[in-house]
Amino acid sequence: MTVVALHQVRKVYKSGALEFEALKGVSLEIRQGEMVALMGPSGSGKTTLMQIIGLLDRPTEGRYVLAGRDVTTLTENQRAEVRNQEIGFVFQAFHLLPRLNVLENVEVPLTYAGYSPQERRERALEVLQKVGLGDKLKNLPSQLSGGQKQRVAIARALAMRPSILLADEPTGNLDSKTAVEVMRLFQELNDEGTSVIIVTHEPDIAEYTGRIVRIRDGQIESDGPNPHRKRAVGGVA
Amino acid sequence: MSVSVAGSAPQKVRSHVGGMNPWQVFRIAWRAILGNPLRSVLTTLGVIIGVAAVVALTMVGQGSTANITRSLQSLGTNLITIGSNTGGRGGGFGLVRFGGPQTITLADAEAVQSAFADRIVGIAPTLQSNQQVKVGANNLNATVIGTWPDYASVRNAQPASGSFFNETDLQSRRRVAVIGYGIAQDLFGGQDPIGQRIRIAGISFTVVGVLPDKGDSGFASPNYQVMVPLSTYLQRLARSSSTGQPRVNAIYVQAPDKDALPRLQQELTDFMAQRRKVTDPSEYDFSVQNQADALASVNQVTQTMTLFLGGVAGISLLVGGIGIMNIMLVSVTERTREIGIRKALGAKPRDILTQFLVESVVLSVGGGILGILLGLAMAGSVGQLLRVTPVFDPFSMVLAFLFSVAVGVFFGFYPASRAARLDPVESLRYE
Ligand SMILES: Nc1ncnc2c1ncn2[C@@H]1O[C@H](COP(=O)(O)OP(=O)(O)OP(=O)(O)O)[C@@H](O)[C@H]1O
Ligand SMILES: [Mg+2]
Repeated sequence: MTVVALHQVRKVYKSGALEFEALKGVSLEIRQGEMVALMGPSGSGKTTLMQIIGLLDRPTEGRYVLAGRDVTTLTENQRAEVRNQEIGFVFQAFHLLPRLNVLENVEVPLTYAGYSPQERRERALEVLQKVGLGDKLKNLPSQLSGGQKQRVAIARALAMRPSILLADEPTGNLDSKTAVEVMRLFQELNDEGTSVIIVTHEPDIAEYTGRIVRIRDGQIESDGPNPHRKRAVGGVA
Repeated sequence: MSVSVAGSAPQKVRSHVGGMNPWQVFRIAWRAILGNPLRSVLTTLGVIIGVAAVVALTMVGQGSTANITRSLQSLGTNLITIGSNTGGRGGGFGLVRFGGPQTITLADAEAVQSAFADRIVGIAPTLQSNQQVKVGANNLNATVIGTWPDYASVRNAQPASGSFFNETDLQSRRRVAVIGYGIAQDLFGGQDPIGQRIRIAGISFTVVGVLPDKGDSGFASPNYQVMVPLSTYLQRLARSSSTGQPRVNAIYVQAPDKDALPRLQQELTDFMAQRRKVTDPSEYDFSVQNQADALASVNQVTQTMTLFLGGVAGISLLVGGIGIMNIMLVSVTERTREIGIRKALGAKPRDILTQFLVESVVLSVGGGILGILLGLAMAGSVGQLLRVTPVFDPFSMVLAFLFSVAVGVFFGFYPASRAARLDPVESLRYE
């Protein structure tokens, strides 16, 4: 089953009279259960592509089908709903809400979905245990290590059981040992069937994925399976 | 063994499509406010002060209105006052002006007495001044009133012990005095003043009666008055200037019942005019007022005050509201990133709007509640200072509360809708 299907997607940024074409007709299909690395030099359009896949931004042109549904022309409210239900975001800078504790951070998407407090708690506990943070529920983000923060963010992304996890340089702010641990978590989730797209600069990180898509100047340069997929090993961070 | 949480279940189970419940929204707002307590308090200061001022002034104002009304009523029932009218409209009832020249005379009082004997219950002219009253080494300043024996019934001044002076005392210009409760307490302590001597402006008087405690109405308290026969007063205490008819401050006339008041008022007016041979009311040098008019004019004052307080409330809430709007705009800018994150996680514009709107309402209502509490405290201390018992008015408090809700919604709406419209991509990139 195809989770993400982009067809000839263009993105043009306009600021005043200036126009910049960040994506120049990108077509891409990602099937359920895939783990994909999106690579490319700085400014090549990786983040732009992720924002479009994540329905944070709209393509200037082209068509986007997400989990069988054409989401190209949804209203603002519908897009918010789809983000909530189908997409899990993981950011380089973690983007946890600083005033909320670990449990509450994970509950945020469940809150917007309208779950009852008990359901929210159950689901949040479940995903937090999954990422190995069942014992840090009351900690504030400032009381966590970088690896722990990113695992909270991953738990939060998983809470709504999305069709796909989108991670934009999730290991960019982590040391290499912690980065491997986070990749191990992504691999575990992927083993269980979660589709994952990871943007990364680092070939080491891309090694852990099953497919590598390279993008340059807003166009796909190469796209193919990773023949040397590595398994991340080691304890939980 | 771990549970598969993603991908495996394409159809989602959504339990409540309605979004967040109000309590969660309130909690988010409350935390945001507590995140910066000092700033929150400073922000709401405008609302706090505005609401406090209105609550305090209303309570003290109503308290003093009640006092005035009460003392007006305690002045006597079915009362008509003839006073001097020197320029413009006469002073308020019972608040006869003593400063200006007196234009009514003892002869007026005597004429009214003989002409209206069958239509009135009592009549008492008064002439008064502040005098030093002394017992032994103790002394104080009191309002000394020269009057007729009817004063006791007309002005509701029946002694609690002893008796009022009588017609004989008046005719013989006896040096007898009826004293207020406060004077008896202050000058005689626990002792019975009846039969004792007091010195008024150095002249010795015998106390024949003591009035009951009339309560402390702040000014012109009957507790600090001394009543003496008018004849004695004229002979001993009045400034020895007068050539011709002695002047008086006021003539109090008591009607048999309330229904007789308007008619009697008219007849007295005509009578006084006739005595002066003037016909044009604008030339009247006297005023004839009845108690109902006076109560009406007190109500008038109350209404004016209410309007004024409404203005104060409006302006302070406006200022307070602008303060809240300002800080909410700052808050939206500061939390741009948070807004982006929430949107990425599925918050709709409406969710963000509600979040910030509730925050500003919680701020302004918090200010309103603090303002009410501060107002109650202020009313207590100001009331004590002015010797007025503040009147607790739940209505004005509910109104203040509702107004602060309205301020929060009105001034919070613009910042909140700005937050709701923020673009998620740009908000996430915001540093
Ligand atoms: N809002 C915007 N307005 C104008 N140009 C933009 C905007 N956002 C991105 N761009 C441009 O589009 C191009 C692609 O940006 P994007 O952020 O997708 O790059 P990236 O591949 O994620 O780079 P990096 O690896 O540095 O994160 C860049 O040249 C960038 O300058
Ligand atoms: Mg990027």
